[in-house]
Amino acid sequence: MTLAEGCGGGSSASTIASSPGTPATPVTPTLTDTDLLNFALNLEYLEAEFYLRAVTGAGLSSDDAGASAGVVTGGTQVPFKTSGFLQIAKELANDEQAHVRYLRKVLGSAAVSRPALDLTNSFNAAAAAAGFGPSFNPFGDENSFMVGAFLFEDLGVTAYHGAASLLTSKQNLAGAAGILGTEAYHAGEIRALLTQMDVPYITYANQLSGLRGRVGGGAETTLSGSAVVAADSSSMGHSRTTDQVLHVVYLSGSTGVKSGGFFPNGMAGTITAAAS
Amino acid sequence: MTQEEMSSAMVAVEQRRSSRRSALLMGGAALAGLALSRKALAQTATVGDNDVLNFVLNLEFLEAQYYTLAATGMTLEQAGVSTKGGDGSAGGAVTVKANAQVPFTTPLLKSFAAELAAEEQNHVRSLQSQLGGAAVEQPAIDLLNSFNTMVQKALLGSAFDPFANEANFLVGAYIFEDLGVTAYQGALGLLSNKTYLDKAIAIHNVEAYHAGAIRLRIFQGGSNMQLASQLISAARAALSGATGNDDVGVGLIGGAASIVDNDENGRTFARTAAEVLNIVYAGGPAGTGGCFFPQGMKGTIR
Repeated sequence: MTLAEGCGGGSSASTIASSPGTPATPVTPTLTDTDLLNFALNLEYLEAEFYLRAVTGAGLSSDDAGASAGVVTGGTQVPFKTSGFLQIAKELANDEQAHVRYLRKVLGSAAVSRPALDLTNSFNAAAAAAGFGPSFNPFGDENSFMVGAFLFEDLGVTAYHGAASLLTSKQNLAGAAGILGTEAYHAGEIRALLTQMDVPYITYANQLSGLRGRVGGGAETTLSGSAVVAADSSSMGHSRTTDQVLHVVYLSGSTGVKSGGFFPNGMAGTITAAAS
Repeated sequence: MTQEEMSSAMVAVEQRRSSRRSALLMGGAALAGLALSRKALAQTATVGDNDVLNFVLNLEFLEAQYYTLAATGMTLEQAGVSTKGGDGSAGGAVTVKANAQVPFTTPLLKSFAAELAAEEQNHVRSLQSQLGGAAVEQPAIDLLNSFNTMVQKALLGSAFDPFANEANFLVGAYIFEDLGVTAYQGALGLLSNKTYLDKAIAIHNVEAYHAGAIRLRIFQGGSNMQLASQLISAARAALSGATGNDDVGVGLIGGAASIVDNDENGRTFARTAAEVLNIVYAGGPAGTGGCFFPQGMKGTIR
């Protein structure tokens, strides 16, 4: 079965070891809560732009994007055919926009502006690297949209999970845990929805999962009717270091990578280059 | 439900929906989850990490029993999962109807139920292993009369069998999963050991994946299932005793789905241990218990 070859089962150690350019043991520098929340804000900008553009054709307001916001490439209104899909997409857009606003409020003047984002070439490159390229437009139809959403949601869960226990303020931990909870609801609903779809969508999703695992240190669970949840063999949710998250959003396992993929000029803030 | 009951239920749901926005304007309600309420603290001088882990272990026993019975018809012990305490004390009895295995007709739901059972069993094992000799035994659990009590609290009827069919099974699961998310989220701020904290976050994630997948099914199940979820959410919010609304059912809010049980800031809710106890005891007194835990939970937070 080509699916298993394509996605490599995600979290197995052999998958990681066999991929050139995969990061070695990540180095975690001392990060402040502000560093970590701004790191999360970059991911929220990405998700919010993806969902808002899919639902409305337009992205974040200039107030929400910050004073020195970068350009967003791509992202068009999805021609939804199923009302339930549109209703789900609206909720996702509302939630991610709320996350941007919440984090900007918590960070105050320390909040970074939206970095430049790419929602066109990034998906093409991801599809090519995952094995179903050369191109992929998640805005083309509602099923493809869900595959695009899949790429972000499990990733968001692992990113917040990795960051949450590094936060020093209990108040920030409480805020992050609430966002993390929402990302995991999103991920659970989207994974469940994909199991109901015909091929090729679940195959695409698993190929993208394989890519995330190869460049982002494993932390993946191949999606199927009996594996809706992404968790390890002890049923614990996966986690990623900031380095591993950078490798995924830059779509590169290369050591020291500091831009590319969804962030053509890199993330904004202090956590921008992969140390490994 | 009669037509009259249905229409009064709809009014309650509309009130609940509109209160979502106003409740959240109150701000830091979720942050209140950082501290145990005075009521629960009165039972225990200091709340250590083991107390917190044992508190969630009680909830995992409840969930694991429900899903294991629904998927296989067996209790945890029958399925090979120990319900004994770390000191060897025998687990409490499980009250449930005979032949509880759900007659699933949708293959994807059948496999999902099996996955839920396996994952909640793993959570029980993982917490038992982390706690070692300090792990509490399973408390007495009621999966028969408890659901009747809950649907009465939710104004959904007088009796409810969550094992009768797969739609009922989803509604039963709905009662537990959002609650699990709020319980873990409230517990995170109480943990001092970073390893335990990471583990609790990992389980919190998985409970939220479960809740998202179950709520998607309820969303797809149509207006009656959505209404049931809204009434249960309203009942949980009323029972919890929290200030402001801390529960949102599945449906539509302003043209958007409400699959995620969260606030206006896009954050899932946190509940204190006392608020969680208020729900699982269905208002029964702390220390004495009721509903799902007819003799109360085991451990210091009970």
